[in-house]
Amino acid sequence: MKHRKGRNGFIAVCVLPAVILFIIFMIVPTINVFKMSLYKWGGFSNNKTFVGLNNFKILFEDPKFYRSFQNSVLLIVMVTIITMVFSLVFAAILSREKIKGQNFFRIIFYIPNILSVVVISAIFSAIYDPSQGLLNSILSIFRGAKADPILWLGNQKLVIYSLVIAMVWQAIGYYMVMYMASMSSVPESLYESANLEGAGRIHQFFNITLPLIWTNIRTTLTFFIISTINLSFLFVKAMTGGKPDGASEVFLSYMYGQAYTNSSYGYGMAIGVIVFLFSFGLAGLVNLATKREPLEF
Amino acid sequence: MKKNGKDTLYKVFIYIVLLLLAISIAVPVGWVFLASVKENAEFYGNPWTLPKGIYFQNFIDAFQGAKMGEYMLNSVIVTVLALLLLLVIALPAAYVLARYRFKGSKLCNIMFMGGLFINVNYIVVPIFLMFVDGDKFLNRVFGSGFLLNNLFVLALVYASTALPFTIYLLSGFFVSIPKDYEEAAFVDGAGYFKTMFSIMMPMARPSIITVILFNFLSFWNEYIIAMTMLTGESKTLPVGLMQLMQAQQAAANYGRLYAGLVIVMLPTLILYICVQKKLTEGMSLGGLKG
Amino acid sequence: MKRKEVTRWLALGLAAVMSTTILAGCGNTDDSSKGGDDAKGDGGQVLKVAAFEGGYGAELWSEVAKAFEETHEGVTVELQVDKKIEDKITPAMKSGDYPDVIHCATGRDAGLTETITKEKGLTCLDDVLDMTVPGEEVTVREKILPGFLDTLGTMPYNDGKTYYAPMFYSPCGLFYNAGLLKEKGWEVPKTWDEMWELGDKAKAEGISLFTYPHAGYFDAFIYATLESSGGAEFYNECMTYKDGIWESPEATAVFETIGKLAQYVEPTTLGNANEESFTKNQQLILDNKAIFCPNGTWLPGEMADAPRAEGFEWGFTAVPAVSDSQKPSSFTFFEQMWIPAEGKNQDLAKEWIAFMYSDKAADIFAKSNAIQPIVGISEKLTGDNKMFYSVYDNDAAVPVMGGFASTNPVEGVSMNDTLFRAVDSIVSGDKTVADWQKSVEEASDKLREAME
Repeated sequence: MKHRKGRNGFIAVCVLPAVILFIIFMIVPTINVFKMSLYKWGGFSNNKTFVGLNNFKILFEDPKFYRSFQNSVLLIVMVTIITMVFSLVFAAILSREKIKGQNFFRIIFYIPNILSVVVISAIFSAIYDPSQGLLNSILSIFRGAKADPILWLGNQKLVIYSLVIAMVWQAIGYYMVMYMASMSSVPESLYESANLEGAGRIHQFFNITLPLIWTNIRTTLTFFIISTINLSFLFVKAMTGGKPDGASEVFLSYMYGQAYTNSSYGYGMAIGVIVFLFSFGLAGLVNLATKREPLEF
Repeated sequence: MKKNGKDTLYKVFIYIVLLLLAISIAVPVGWVFLASVKENAEFYGNPWTLPKGIYFQNFIDAFQGAKMGEYMLNSVIVTVLALLLLLVIALPAAYVLARYRFKGSKLCNIMFMGGLFINVNYIVVPIFLMFVDGDKFLNRVFGSGFLLNNLFVLALVYASTALPFTIYLLSGFFVSIPKDYEEAAFVDGAGYFKTMFSIMMPMARPSIITVILFNFLSFWNEYIIAMTMLTGESKTLPVGLMQLMQAQQAAANYGRLYAGLVIVMLPTLILYICVQKKLTEGMSLGGLKG
Repeated sequence: MKRKEVTRWLALGLAAVMSTTILAGCGNTDDSSKGGDDAKGDGGQVLKVAAFEGGYGAELWSEVAKAFEETHEGVTVELQVDKKIEDKITPAMKSGDYPDVIHCATGRDAGLTETITKEKGLTCLDDVLDMTVPGEEVTVREKILPGFLDTLGTMPYNDGKTYYAPMFYSPCGLFYNAGLLKEKGWEVPKTWDEMWELGDKAKAEGISLFTYPHAGYFDAFIYATLESSGGAEFYNECMTYKDGIWESPEATAVFETIGKLAQYVEPTTLGNANEESFTKNQQLILDNKAIFCPNGTWLPGEMADAPRAEGFEWGFTAVPAVSDSQKPSSFTFFEQMWIPAEGKNQDLAKEWIAFMYSDKAADIFAKSNAIQPIVGISEKLTGDNKMFYSVYDNDAAVPVMGGFASTNPVEGVSMNDTLFRAVDSIVSGDKTVADWQKSVEEASDKLREAME
């Protein structure tokens, strides 16, 4: 390497500020979360008692934690699969087809993502309203006006799926734009030659588009895991509050309930540790499972 | 001929699907705007009726009664500051981490990757406690605290917690640039900084715009950190909105609440529509074609 | 609005802020001692009062302070009123500068009152009760409504000594449309049997018997039914987690009553039974779609703007007795005022508390709809308030006060989840009454172990 001179200094100037801030504001607090998970602490007083792994022991016998775990996993799987299929298809259509008002659609589809969760929750509460909501009004055309109303947020078996719909609605545009960005870098010539060979749209989608943006899809899988854990918390807080009877409780809402409402701060942090390890592990697994030879173009 | 017919059918189908999705988005969002000009009594009936008239008082109430104007200024300051800090810090770091191998580069990459999994929701209280301790110390030495209730510090926290995602996104782009560009620049005698600023950064423009857009949204809508770090009277817009919801629970003032919702989402809508054009331009103009 | 319930978002903020103030307290003495030193040094006495600004506003406090200054010459009241009063006063308290009197209810998320209670930092108020109300001839004990002084809500240690002065009460019960019942010729049920009868009659006309805002509102309802099933002693045993108490016949009767009531719940109720949409359930009463809704006196104010059926008129009744041998009952929320043992001006503070029960003070409070629990107050009230507060006279209802005894936190266990929130599952049929009862007893066992 010829450019030895100043290389180290350059690297230091570029990387150090980011590393330092990252350590101060992310690593250190995370270590604190791990540390506090070993204590019994109400959150206010100065009485912190070291209890070792006791918080984790309680956690593994806590049926409410298992339910929130189950709900979170269900949300991650459902939201990821549905959103991904929709956004990939829409991205392919908008970037490959000659559609009038392409820009218009792109702008509209992205809008839910820029809305605050508070706004979205207000919207979906109105949609899910049992007697006057949009959804039941439309369904009553088919089911007859006399049918029992469907309680989208009140039925313990439905409430999670109602959350899935809201979250997919919110996320499609975001991932669509991401996929479009990487699709636009797929060379046009590949499609032209495929056209000459008479390959259909679906064939092109699976054999050209998907493989070439595979790296991008893998990236978004990680995002899906992280953001679903995070957003499901915000949605649950704003829409259901974990109701009915905890049926819509997720990881972080349960953590908050324990840390603040039930004055078990250490226990809450123990949940935080599990969530952290879980999301890390899951992403690692998904990453391994989706590993392919990168395609160059 | 046959193929043409099938094609038309396909096109029609696509348009219907696209329109359905567009409607499912536009109608509810439009509904919030309509609801914001409804009078309070109108909120108890069917939520999908049109407003009887335009009741603009809701907005005046929100801006004056609920101080949304002041909160908006705070939000603008914090968001802009945080974006500037983020770009200044993250861009060089992402570039170097993506394109240089050095001692510890692997560790740094892994660290920032891992940072993606650190959820701000559970580190906010530890950060806060850290600031409390810091302020206590500053108080003893200088007689006044500095870290809490400070818009600049809040912006710094925003920028820092956005680092992993931003670096991840940007280095993903930098990695994809062929080596030839830098080599050509070095051959021309450009130094490291010059290469970075005058060759690589301009090429990264589309990615930078994406980064700005994403982070603008998350900073603008963020409220957990803001609520925790700003303990005094000054608040950001979403925190103000939460407060409005609290107040609404007490007095059932729905009109003002929906006006508040509109105030929060309007700037993001406007900015998004402006940036959206740039984003599209950037994608086709930028050096992506190789 | 549910006064006891602060949304958890707010709780986060409070909790976070709370911990600052505790920690920052140590280094913050400069700021916090200001309040005390600015006091007038001309020999007059200064009483420092800190009060929580609740739904009643802040004005009532400054007015009552003025009235106190007028009747007590040479006294200056230094008032601190805030929605987050805990944040304002804890830093100073940590550095030893205590207010003389604090008005701050139990059950708030910051838990200041509970903390001071656990640290045994309260002054006993027994001698205040024997003081004469300033400007009047009765003692404080005589002036306070019967029942308010023998609950966990005023005797936190359950040792027969009063440490909290009861302030601003508000009865909870069942709200209904009196106009509807009149029009249909239906009587307000006095027993649960009459209740079920009415439920069947109403069903025939397409009206449901019952709705509820969300499961959190079942606290007052369940407290009342417990009392009316087993009486005061039984109620206290429930609240102090006595072993096996939740499996006793009296408790079983309560669980089964609610289990039966669940079948009469308006079908859309569950869909809106959350913090976001609960007003829609309250609206069902106004629209004549359901007859009864458990709630507190703030309900008519909360629904003031809502459209209503023709001839609508608020009705309010106590919860019918579960056991034939008991009276109907109504749970009463009230707030607490107390004197920190570290306060400097103990005597004047006691004088202030006694003054709270004078007619003069009560009238000032009543203007802001804050009602003091004193004898004769119900005659002075007007409008809807008159009906609400006369529930104990008209229905001969027993007032029920004070919730569960405080415990050390138990990870993953709370009565709020197990007893109240589970009502949603009973209504939807996801849980049987027997399972519900069993889980409550289990939670009770765990909480008992964590009692102080």
